[in-house]
Amino acid sequence: MKKIIALLLTLTMITTAAVSCGDKGTKVDNPLDFSKSYVYKDAVGTLATNWSPHTYQVDTDNYLTPYIRVGLYDFIFNDALNPVEGKEPFAGYKIVPEMAADFPVDVTEKVKAEHPEFNIPESATNGYAYTIKLNEKACWDDGTPINADTYVYSMKRLLDPELLNYRATDYYTGTIIIANAENYANAGRSIVKSNAADGSTMDYEFADFKKGADGVYTTPDGSGKVYFGVTVANAYISASLADYSPYFPEGAFEVLQKAANEDGYCPVTDETIEALRSFITSDIWGNEPEEYLGLYAFYDITYPEMDFSNVGIMKNSDYEITLVFGKSLAGFNLYYALTSNWIVKEDLYEANLKKDGDAWFSTYNTSVETTSSYGPYKLVSYQKDKSLRLERNENWYGYSDGKHIYTDPVDGEIYAMYQTSAIDCQVVDEASTRKMMFLSGQLMGYGLQPDDYASYRNSEYVHATPGTTVFFFIFNGYMDAIKNREANKDFDQTKYDLETMTLNSFRRAVAVTYDKELFATTVSPSRSGGYGLIGTSYIYDPDTGARYRDTEQAKQVLCDFYSVDTSKFATLDDAVDSITGYDPVTAKEYYKQAFDEAIAAGYITDNDGDGKSDQIVRIEYSLGEDDDFMTTTINYLNEKMNDVTAGTPFEDRVQFVKAGPYGNDWSTHLKAGTADTSLAGWNGSTLDPFSLTDLYTNPSYQYDANWFNASAQTLELEVNVAPIGEAADMQKIKMNLSQWSQALNGATVTVGGKDYNFGDGMTDVDTRLTILAGVEGAILNTYDYIPVLQDGSMALLSQQVYYVIDEYNPIIGRGGIAYLKYNYDETEWAEYVAANGGELKY
Amino acid sequence: MVKYAAQRILLMLMTLLIITAMCFVLVRMLPPVELPLNDPHTQVIEARREAQGYNKPYIVQFGIFLKNVFTKWDWGVSDKLYLGQDVADIFMQKLPATMVVNLYSIILSIPIGIALGIFAALKKNTWIDHTISTLTMLCISVPSFVYAFLIQYFLSFKLGWFPFLMKAGTDYFSWSMFYSMVPVILSLSFGVIAGFTRTTRAELTEVLTSEFMLLARTKGLTRAQATVRHALKNCMVVILPSIFGEFIGILGGALIIEKIFAVPGVGNLYINSINARDYPMFMMLTVFYTTISLAASIVVDISYGFIDPRIRMGSKK
Repeated sequence: MKKIIALLLTLTMITTAAVSCGDKGTKVDNPLDFSKSYVYKDAVGTLATNWSPHTYQVDTDNYLTPYIRVGLYDFIFNDALNPVEGKEPFAGYKIVPEMAADFPVDVTEKVKAEHPEFNIPESATNGYAYTIKLNEKACWDDGTPINADTYVYSMKRLLDPELLNYRATDYYTGTIIIANAENYANAGRSIVKSNAADGSTMDYEFADFKKGADGVYTTPDGSGKVYFGVTVANAYISASLADYSPYFPEGAFEVLQKAANEDGYCPVTDETIEALRSFITSDIWGNEPEEYLGLYAFYDITYPEMDFSNVGIMKNSDYEITLVFGKSLAGFNLYYALTSNWIVKEDLYEANLKKDGDAWFSTYNTSVETTSSYGPYKLVSYQKDKSLRLERNENWYGYSDGKHIYTDPVDGEIYAMYQTSAIDCQVVDEASTRKMMFLSGQLMGYGLQPDDYASYRNSEYVHATPGTTVFFFIFNGYMDAIKNREANKDFDQTKYDLETMTLNSFRRAVAVTYDKELFATTVSPSRSGGYGLIGTSYIYDPDTGARYRDTEQAKQVLCDFYSVDTSKFATLDDAVDSITGYDPVTAKEYYKQAFDEAIAAGYITDNDGDGKSDQIVRIEYSLGEDDDFMTTTINYLNEKMNDVTAGTPFEDRVQFVKAGPYGNDWSTHLKAGTADTSLAGWNGSTLDPFSLTDLYTNPSYQYDANWFNASAQTLELEVNVAPIGEAADMQKIKMNLSQWSQALNGATVTVGGKDYNFGDGMTDVDTRLTILAGVEGAILNTYDYIPVLQDGSMALLSQQVYYVIDEYNPIIGRGGIAYLKYNYDETEWAEYVAANGGELKY
Repeated sequence: MVKYAAQRILLMLMTLLIITAMCFVLVRMLPPVELPLNDPHTQVIEARREAQGYNKPYIVQFGIFLKNVFTKWDWGVSDKLYLGQDVADIFMQKLPATMVVNLYSIILSIPIGIALGIFAALKKNTWIDHTISTLTMLCISVPSFVYAFLIQYFLSFKLGWFPFLMKAGTDYFSWSMFYSMVPVILSLSFGVIAGFTRTTRAELTEVLTSEFMLLARTKGLTRAQATVRHALKNCMVVILPSIFGEFIGILGGALIIEKIFAVPGVGNLYINSINARDYPMFMMLTVFYTTISLAASIVVDISYGFIDPRIRMGSKK
């Protein structure tokens, strides 16, 4: 009986798919074959425990999202069916409506006029309100329709002030800010709020705070007291004031400390203002202007009770909603934000709410029974910490709307997406077990471990995925700390030296001592050589997917830094390709120069006159933990250093030694100059390389803040200062690096009486790239940071499947489950594995 | 005996209360897991902590905890690991898997271990005894996860006789489930077999050289009769309590073995609950395991009196 039902269901789905595809007039050469079984066999270290879109907390819980949910919009590859103007087929992506029926319509002017409660700025003409038509075919896996009520109900529950849902903040603190969502979610609650929650944008200017009758300052409307966080971390300095207490002028910190309450806040009074002012305007803190006091401030806020009708989501009709934002959102960012979806199934959601004490808990989306899907797959089995299985959701509109198809770049034929019929995921904690299962044909992928690279690095089934981080060596230049260490009685200055490493010539020599690709192969084979401070994954234009590292400006920076004579190459690309970062001949010259300079400066001696340093330049490597990776790294550094310094005055006279392990304090030791180097790196949003400049120019983040002052380092660039839409006005401007970084990231900087702001949307992208490259080049030339590794990972893909598009795209990866194609169905695969003796060769 | 048992039980309850109170306060004194600076969720988490009563005095929180347990048998809901889910339900869902694999392991291990111990004792100082003793030492010295990897590599990967992982599902007593558990059972068994072999051999060797054994042989019993009727019975004073101990140990789980074979048991629940500061989960596990341990010690002590009537509990002389 079951077989008959299955057969009937299959026939129905095939017929529906065929008819629907026919409706659209697109002939699918290869529709889904529902009679065959294609199971994606996955393994995870930790299985999801709570995948509710309102409460999940960790990434592992998000595992099911791509399978059981669909956003209002989604990204697909551009191909013959979905061409993108100006892009080569299969080289980019296209945004398409999914749970939406069409693209959003900007209704900012209309909503501004009709709904003053949303406080859309008077000057705003677009980007604040959109009407979105909903996909009428969308439904839950039991056939219950999804309509405008679902969206409004779900948002109301998500933001419900009683439920305190973990994911509520996603809709009022990130890219997407639903109008009045924050006020509604916090209605009736009193909190102490940071005046600069993002670390840079102040809610109130400090001068706007008013002094009360009791001498304590309040917010401009007098509704809440204002504080400084003494032991409370503030976002601007990523730490608390107490962390920097040794740097306060004498007695100043004690004033704050004495006034602080048990929660670590001290009221803002004239006395505490003076104490903090004396600190932030001091030389040691970089002479910050007084206005910056606002960045250290917190204030009491009590959110008033509010009705949900004031929140920026409105039902226009059964299948149309309007979203109103508290901050303008348009273009790529709008669509990207709406690839996530917040909807929940009302009856299930309500049935799984439970109150424990004063707190509400929800068990929605924690089991098969409490889960309903509206994506291509539905959950059919789940066992905690063990396994789950998803199978096709026959009620998903995508199997029959004729839109989920693509052109294969190899054979040019049209295929239906989602060939996978089921997904089996189980917990496999040990990498060795995963490997054995993979080789036995029981898993679809296997992430290579360090020991595997020798065997599989060149396999035709291996796929590399670039990471965002570039790892660099930081070199200690904190002369005060170095002198203190050398003055220590345990330090034998006749044998060792720490000062030479601060010489620019010595660092230039080190910078070309190591073959970066060889270094990567030796210590971390999944990674590749890193050459600039900004990695290869960063995209400066999300609309096109264009990467910073591919721009002329970024290439020129590398050529300049590595002294490549571009005139000798046909193209800039060729010049960049020639860079290895390894030049032993030049390195030897620099070591010789460093020796002369170090002798002249008295850092080292050559008392026996043999032309070699009497001291060993000792470079202490700050360890987080001491493991095989660190041992391999340090051995490699010493071995190659000895090779390159052979025949120079530093032959066998440069030594990397382990320091620590310091645990999480490894970076503290670097910053304090009590250790000399380490392999470190930063990463940020892949779509915003510009924000990375802050990490190298803001003392709060800088590793080299104690010996490099970005505010004192000027840089002259020729940039376009005309606003967007006006004729270019190229001018040479000289600013310090800190100012360039701030202006690049949206702050208005005044130089020579003129205001400059090169933030997103304030100037053309070419100008922003020029500034970014200029700052990157200036930082590289300090030789405080020597890039060596570009992060990445490698994984083997099963012979059972292949990616339609092999090249990795930073936005959509390799297309996910929608674009995965099978060489064998389950029966054929079992035969294939058996025919190969049960152990496959990769 | 009854009076002694009652005393022990009262003492146990008092100890349980003290341990529970200490754990309750100490785990709450740990600083909450830090969120990255600027994380907007901090506000929500703070508000949730307030709503869950975590900012109330510890004594008040402990009172609420005891009240909920005693009046509603409510151990609370997990606020980290399994957000919103009843901790007692989660534990009960996960406990059977741990119990079943350990139970099979003990059922396999005890007869083999005792049999090998007897054999080695009877063949004392022969090559058989030396071989068994050497293997025993080897099995005790090598951690069980080493066997697990070897078994997985040879039996599952190279020979393909068994699956790599324990089967999903809750049909713990089905043949397919048992078949998938064989690698786990074997991995857990080597150490237990070795332990019983060593204990049995040591005890039996000593008993076999006793004078009453000589008497038993001189009154006409065969060696087998003397060994089974007299020697083994005397050995049991030591062996039986360790069997009890093994049975109680099956509730604890084996952290690494469960991870290697993906046994959905309770092995790592305790550590995870501490790391994640999942207070309700931690407290339920603490009370459960403390109760089991205390009860076990009473059961073992009382069992001595049954095994050997010469042992009297609680008497003043």
